[in-house]
Order: sequence, then C-alpha cells, then structure tokens
Amino acid sequence: MTEKILEVKNMKTSFYTHVGEVQAVRGVSFHLDKGEALGIVGESGSGKSVTSMSVMRLLQYPGTIKEGEVFFKGEDLVKKSKAEMMSVRGNQIAMIFQDPMTSLNPVYTIGNQIMEAVIRHQKVSKAEARERAIDMLKLVGIPSPETRVDNYPHEFSGGMRQRAMIAIALSCQPDLLIADEPTTALDVTIQAQILELLKDLKKKVNTSIILITHDLGVVADVCSRIIVMYGGLIMEEGRAEDIFYEPLHPYTMGLLKSIPRLDLGHKQRLVPIPGSPPDLIKPPKGCPFAARCPYAMKICLEHQPGYYERKPGHKAACWLYHQDAPTWELDTGVRRVKG
Amino acid sequence: MEKIMNETTPKEILLEVRNLKKYFPIHKGIFGTKKTNVQAVDDISFYIYKGETLGLVGESGCGKSTAGRTIIRLYNPTAGEIIFDGAEISKMDENELKPFRKRMQMIFQDPYASLNSRMTVGDIIGEPIDIHNIATGEARQKMIYDLLERVGLSKDHASRYPHEFSGGQRQRIGIARSLAVEPDFIICDEPISALDVSIQAQVVNMLEDLQQEFGLTYLFIAHDLSMVKHISDRIGVMYLGKLVELSSSKALYEKPMHPYTQALLSAIPIPDPEVTHAKHRIVLEGDVPSPINPPSGCRFRTRCQYAFDRCTVEEPVFQDMGEGHMVACHLMDNGKA
Repeated sequence: MTEKILEVKNMKTSFYTHVGEVQAVRGVSFHLDKGEALGIVGESGSGKSVTSMSVMRLLQYPGTIKEGEVFFKGEDLVKKSKAEMMSVRGNQIAMIFQDPMTSLNPVYTIGNQIMEAVIRHQKVSKAEARERAIDMLKLVGIPSPETRVDNYPHEFSGGMRQRAMIAIALSCQPDLLIADEPTTALDVTIQAQILELLKDLKKKVNTSIILITHDLGVVADVCSRIIVMYGGLIMEEGRAEDIFYEPLHPYTMGLLKSIPRLDLGHKQRLVPIPGSPPDLIKPPKGCPFAARCPYAMKICLEHQPGYYERKPGHKAACWLYHQDAPTWELDTGVRRVKG
Repeated sequence: MEKIMNETTPKEILLEVRNLKKYFPIHKGIFGTKKTNVQAVDDISFYIYKGETLGLVGESGCGKSTAGRTIIRLYNPTAGEIIFDGAEISKMDENELKPFRKRMQMIFQDPYASLNSRMTVGDIIGEPIDIHNIATGEARQKMIYDLLERVGLSKDHASRYPHEFSGGQRQRIGIARSLAVEPDFIICDEPISALDVSIQAQVVNMLEDLQQEFGLTYLFIAHDLSMVKHISDRIGVMYLGKLVELSSSKALYEKPMHPYTQALLSAIPIPDPEVTHAKHRIVLEGDVPSPINPPSGCRFRTRCQYAFDRCTVEEPVFQDMGEGHMVACHLMDNGKA
C-alpha cells in the first residue's frame, strides 16, 4: 500500500478583483503518493499554478482559498497559522519557480541563499550549513562547487541559476517538491539537463514531485501520473500511458491533436481547438470545455459532469461516459508509434 | 507535404543572403573608449526560394532574431549582401528601400508589445495602408474589414483597442497588419512562442493557409523545433552567430549531420511516454559561450563530444554534402558523422 503524502480535497480558490470574483480553481481534488512524480498540465488560466500556490499557502491578495482541505502528511495545511506554515514551507514542501532570474536575490551569494533555508529550519552551525550548501551544489551538478558557492546570481547562467534554485529547494530534504514550469524559460539543451537532474534526484533522494507545465513532452518524460486541468477544474486524471494512449476527455484529445510531433515523418495538418478558454469571472454553468468541444451535447452546457472512472485511477469529467450518452466515434488524436 | 521540393519546375530564389554579419559594439572602460563587439550574426549565407518556408532555429542568443531583423533592414548590416528579388538592399537608404519595405513584412513574437495600445485595431491595420498610399476612404475601410475577416476576426473588431483581445487574437491582428501591404515575403519571428498550445495550432494553420492563398514566402524563426519542422520546407540551425547546418526539414530530422543539431534534436521531449523514454538523449555539458569572445575555430567545440585538435585552430567551412544539405563541421571531411 502506497502512502499518500498529499491529498487535496475539493479546493476552491478565488481572486476578488475590482471587476469581480475570478474563480481560478473551482473544486479540485487529487492526491500524491510518496515518491511519485505527478504532472499537472494545462494552458494559461487553467488554474494549475493557482492550485500549487494554494497548496503552498502562497496566494497573494486578493487571492483566497474559499473552500477545501489540503492534507499534507495527515495535517490540514489550510488550517495552519502563518507561523506554522513557515516551518512547513522550504522545510517539508519546497517549490521551484519558472523564472530563475527573478526568484534569486541578486545581492546575496548563492551559498548564502542556500544556507538561509538550512539555518532557518535546521539546528546547524554556519560552517555546517556552508558544507551543506556545497554538497547541494555538487548534487545538482554545478562544477567546482567550493568556489561557486561564493558567486552571486549574476555570475551564473540561466541553467545554473535553475540548478541553484533546485539546490535551495532540496537543501532541507523536503518530502514534496513543487516545480512550477521549471524549464519554460530555458533553452532545450538546458531543459534536457534540468529534466535529467529532476529524474535523477527522484531516484536518489526519493522526493515526491508535482511538476506543473504546459509542455506535454516534459510530463511524458518525467511524470508517471498526470492531471489535465481546464477552466479551474480537473478534466482528466490517469497514468501517463492512459493520458497519452487512451485519453478520455475531448480536451485531452484536442491537446494531443494540436501539437506537432517531431518524431513522426509524414506531415499532418494540425487540428487546433477552436475558440478560446472560458472567462473565469463568469464561469460556464456546465462543462468549461463545452463551448469548444466537438462532441458537446445539450447537457454539457447546463450541468457540470461528474467523474467517470474507466479503469482504476483513470477518470474524466465528461458526459460522454454517462450510461445514457450516445456512442461517438471519437478521434482521440493518439499517434502511438509502437505496440 | 513539401510544397515546393517535389515539383519539377525550376525554383526561383526570392532572397539571398551572402556573408551577412551584424556586430553590436559595446563600450568598455571608464570613458567608454575600449570597444569590443558582440558578434551576433557572423558570416551567414543562405537563400530562400519563392513560396517556400525556411525555418531558422537555435537557442537564445544564437543570432536568429538578429539575422531576421538585419535581413529586413531593421538593423543595418555590418557586412555582407542581402539580395531581394535581384536587388541588393543591404546598402540602400530609406528612400530607395521604401518599395522593398512594402514587399517584406514581419510578425513579432510578443503580441502584447507589438501593437500600439492607444490605436484602434482598424488604425493599426490601416497604418501601413496609409504609409504606402495603397487606399483611402471607403476602399481603405473595406481593405481593413477584409483583412480582419481573413485572419478570423470580424469587422466589428476594427473599432476596438488591443487590450480587449487575447494573445491569439492579437497575433492575428499583427498578421493582418503585415498582410495589409500585400507582401511577398514575411519574417515570422517566434510568432507562436507566447501563445497557448491549442491557440498555436490555430495560428500555424492560418499561416499555412495564407501562404497557399497569397503565394507567400516565409522565414520562420523559432526555438521550438517540433513546430519549425512542421511548418518548414527547409531548416537552418544556428549556433552562436553561425549557421551550422541547413537542409530540407526531412533530412535534418532523419539525418542530422552536425553534432549540435544531433544534440538539439535529442533534447526535445516527445509527448509520448514510450518514445521519450526509449530515446537516447545527448545531454550537452555547460552553456553557450559568450558571443563577445567566441571560441576559436569551430564555435561549438567547447560543448562538442567529438571535438579534436583541428576544431580549435580552424573554422569549418559551410559546405554542401549533397542534395543541398549544408554543414559546417570538420567531421564531415572524413565522411564520418
């Protein structure tokens, strides 16, 4: 029996702006097993980043968690005070962000920034913290860490800064690492280095990882389980193989059809998803994808579908899987090369 | 499939670039007296056939955008020739250049920064029409409406301002603006990088349709190799200001010759768990060196796993390995890849 390290139950997060309440996350439930890499995929505005910021309790005004529970190792993070959260963040849950240029402090050395986290959360001397900082830089593959530890962020390249961010995040050996678009700002050859590093770290230190990205290639590479988000809701959830080879939700299928495949020889015309994502100030009454869905029925526009589980762990929020729904010839967009 | 390549009709060259260089001076020292150069584009040569799409890929700082901007004369080239439809445009002054400005257009990466937020969409699209005296009055209005409809917007949008549109819609406005002067050649500088996946496909399909309809020629600059391979007939790969490889997109993917191209292709994660896990990934060590002081000889040698003595001392020649597959690598001289 695998141990659940994180369980999010019916979380709703809104931003109260001057134009109205933006319902960024509208009731999201998922869990993460120990040592697992979970991918959250979605386009901008799907609520994937807000979900992670809510879990971390890092939402800024005017964002608020309206409802829901976030159980981390059995304790509800939503109920924790600010001070209690401080001892969780950076210590037991760590986060790396998209932009390594702005998430490091330019006036402190890289070493100082790693030491800060270690000294804050663990009873160690400065000298020990420095040792730890050097070890962490070595772990994330920074060459000559003994001298690099005294460098400032501007002396590091983009890829090295992201490695330094990962070193800070891992310095207190967190149980959970949330990576929000960790490679989006990086070049592909540097992205490859960072992805290899994340996979390697998962094996070495057995950290559980939540990887948030819009890049289906990145999740296919790193994650064993995937959540697809759209319009503040989870559309589909399953193992990577389920999502890529037997997608259930028309949105997932639409995504697969709209990306070109480098590895497939013949050129196929892309099939875009028509229209654009819903406005979450006035979220649609029914399924958020209904307006863009080729299979939309009357009920889709009026009622939000529940989750239909096709096999253990693989479920989708779609009326097509209701017992009374008509059977469609679904164009899944799956282009499986082997087997 | 490959629109041009399979036809037997002789291919006409629309644009040729010969030994193009673009250096940006930087001033050092207290009085700014010491001058060095950023060698953003250093001696690249290629040509584009009429009606084809040439992709230009490379990582940030490789000079691909600078190359595009220099070709369209947003920057003045440091050296080299740009021959557009038989005319040498690299040294022309603004007056001489004006008729060519009408024939060459550009679509920019950032749909938020490339549209003037104080102008209505109608005026944004109308501006090039006015500058080149293409139409006035009702004819101008009709042109604007037609263009809006052609890019999938409606004429009601003409009186609105850019902030009322989403990123994908803004990019459509930018495309409509570039089409307003009925150009032959459009430089697309990362036109879809800022857009969501589902919207990217909409824009790419539209660019393909417009190419068919108006017989456009594209220079498509991007870092996303999957998308470049999808849209391009031929692809050039740049590294640190140099063109290292250029061939048909099929050959480039199936038979990449330059070690950098091989690494670049292997680094791209494929959205298919089985394929991506089975893939042998060449992970390049380190980072791209600075274009202020690039490595001697072959610029890729500091990260190349095959580098040998000759790569340090001698710059490889960009040469044709057959069927127009151009490569700049010393390994090719021995016939091994």
